[in-house]
Amino acid sequence: MERHNSPASASHSQVIEVNIDIDRDASSFPPISNPSPTSNNKACRGGTCDLSYSKDSPERWDSMRKLVIAVVLCIVFMTVEVIGGIKANSLAILTDAAHLLSDVAAFMISLFSLWAAGWEANPRQSYGFFRIEILGALVSIQMIWLLAGILVYEAIVRLIHDNGEVKGFLMFAVSAFGLVVNIIMALLLGHDHGHGHGHGHGHGHDHGHGHEHTHDHGHNHEHEHMHSHGHEHQHEDQDHEANTIPTKHQHDHSHSNDMKESLIKKGNKKPKRNINVHSAYLHVLGDSIQSVGVMVGGAVIWYKPEWKIIDLICTLIFSVIVLLTTIKMLRNILEVLMESTPREIDTTQLEKGLCAMNGVVAIHELHIWAITVGKVLLSCHVIIAPDADADRVLDEVLGYIRRDFNISHATIQIERH
Amino acid sequence: MQEKKDATFSYQFPDGDRRLAFSRQSSFRHWDPPLPSPSPSPSPSPSPLLRSHSFKPYLARSDSTVGMPLLEKPGQKDATWVALILAAVRGVANGSRPMKRLALMISLNVAYSMIELLLGLFTGRVGLVSDAFHLTFGCGILTFSLFAMGISRKKPDETYTYGYKRLEVLAAFTNALFLLFLSFSLAVEALHAFMQDESEHKHYLIVSAVTNLLVNLLGVWFFRSYARVNIVYWKPEDMNYHSVCLHVLADSIRSAGLILASWFLTLGVENAEVLCLGIVSVAVFMLVLPLFKATGSILLQIAPSNIHPSAFNKCSRQIASLEEVLEVSQERFWELVPGYSIGSLSVLVKKGVHEDRILQHVNGLYNDLGIQDLTVQIDYK
Repeated sequence: MERHNSPASASHSQVIEVNIDIDRDASSFPPISNPSPTSNNKACRGGTCDLSYSKDSPERWDSMRKLVIAVVLCIVFMTVEVIGGIKANSLAILTDAAHLLSDVAAFMISLFSLWAAGWEANPRQSYGFFRIEILGALVSIQMIWLLAGILVYEAIVRLIHDNGEVKGFLMFAVSAFGLVVNIIMALLLGHDHGHGHGHGHGHGHDHGHGHEHTHDHGHNHEHEHMHSHGHEHQHEDQDHEANTIPTKHQHDHSHSNDMKESLIKKGNKKPKRNINVHSAYLHVLGDSIQSVGVMVGGAVIWYKPEWKIIDLICTLIFSVIVLLTTIKMLRNILEVLMESTPREIDTTQLEKGLCAMNGVVAIHELHIWAITVGKVLLSCHVIIAPDADADRVLDEVLGYIRRDFNISHATIQIERH
Repeated sequence: MQEKKDATFSYQFPDGDRRLAFSRQSSFRHWDPPLPSPSPSPSPSPSPLLRSHSFKPYLARSDSTVGMPLLEKPGQKDATWVALILAAVRGVANGSRPMKRLALMISLNVAYSMIELLLGLFTGRVGLVSDAFHLTFGCGILTFSLFAMGISRKKPDETYTYGYKRLEVLAAFTNALFLLFLSFSLAVEALHAFMQDESEHKHYLIVSAVTNLLVNLLGVWFFRSYARVNIVYWKPEDMNYHSVCLHVLADSIRSAGLILASWFLTLGVENAEVLCLGIVSVAVFMLVLPLFKATGSILLQIAPSNIHPSAFNKCSRQIASLEEVLEVSQERFWELVPGYSIGSLSVLVKKGVHEDRILQHVNGLYNDLGIQDLTVQIDYK
């Protein structure tokens, strides 16, 4: 596909596309049903019919590179810890190394999902392989939950075996080391897209402060542009003013201004963070929160070895915090897997807009669903007046959907009343 | 929010049981010619999403889902815990038989794991605590399955336009994932026992293993019709029940393995624990893999597995061979739940062709294949 190379650029094209595009990606569809180059096929106008990442999508390579670096770092740290643990003959260090191993597993899952999303669609898998991202994220989150359970179990074991085996200082030191490692990786994973192209401006002021901050900003931001479109920009500008780190935000401020001027209508912005990187980031974040918890418990045991129960309570609290961070992503995953209407699409407005068109009498069987977060499809039956021109109505409807809601894959069945 | 009529599609087979699918069945018995619309302009008074009976959609779907008393309507969300629990209990009490059995099993398991946890904490036995944790995790997953069973009967609404049946597939997938994790952790345990090479005789664990085995065998008995590895899924509930059955089966295999291992240890067999754990881990993995693949392929929107790809090709060739049709493209098919497939395609026709005939023909062809919901976009050259 020579034209729009990255799926991200589709969001730039807020202009009304009237060009009759006959450029098709031949490999995305089975050969038997490829429309001939001379056909006037409306279904794939504008070259935005990519159901797989084109091979040279910069966003994808960026994310993959980040994850690969994170994996390598993780493995290095893990070997260091394993060697140290065997030498010092300490179970605590080996346990922490096992946690790093779980991090590596999460990164591998994300990497695999990213790589698999680039596979070409085939007749059996007609929507491309984007869903693998979602399933991979689900597996990652289940692993996070499992690990939280394991950590609570370990805390209970520590409580039971309270015969002085547990060295508070060692716990503290090991988990501090783990925390540092996790923070490095969180920065690496989260510190992305901010300086990317226009589409990344949403990210710009997400990361860059402390650890917990980035997370909150990220959440608020996604929340904001899930709902109505119009006043989003004001929100962003306010956020910009509130930020204190000057250098980074000058950069991002200019980006956001550009975006503001180039948007024609109340266009939708897609939620930007790549879900694979985000789930890996969540994993690392969860680990660092738990490291903090173990550090606190270790410090308590170090200072006052008789207050063992505090360790368990701390671990419980921090595990609950970790689980809470995953809830939002879990909800997104659940909604995509249940084929529900994505949150960012305003269905009533869509229906009203469609029914207000010339020639449209009613619509029914409207289904809007997402392959992955950000890629939305629509299918609907439109009843038109007996004398209306089906072709024209189809054009209008498709154009409206593409323009206002940025849904590139819509299938409309026109029925005459 | 205006009251919308219930969606008129069901997950039952509209034209009879498709298991006898080789006979071509007439697909348009329900097609009534629509009445002329009284008001040509879309005024705000009729609901824009007309789901009334003034006309019938092309694939008429009789609403034949069994009307069982549902859980609370999402309208008034009573957020108090008591109300939620009451609603859950009522849902289970009115639910189908498998639901009740599952609820019974879950409560047994929860009670048992609570006892085990308390005993383990008070007597300081780590093995009991770890077993209790494992049980609790399993119970959590089973509760999710139960929840999916209950909520899947809700009618489709604004946000979930396809209904809630997918949740059953998701619950089955989660179960399968949990079992995969279980097999992996058993393998790790076996490795651990191999490296540590200490065969502690945890006698108290035997009692717990036996009780666990009994409870799980009860569960297997409840769901005994699903106690196979490869099942053809006709309904979404099939997947859920199968996953629950595999779950309890795997648990009972694990308990049996533990009992066997400790018996071998008393017999003096070296590395008995490693061997038994290894065998159990491999067995669970092999058990779960087909279910995992099946649920995964539905969630990934892979083309319906019960329809051969050559049938799809044949259909599209038949459509393309009509004289008004220039080409057929962008056929995409996926399964919502086992037994209900959805598709969309795009047909390029010559200018001036009336679309009714084409729509009828196309819908008929694909309906015979088993695609219940089809959206056809007709483009004119």
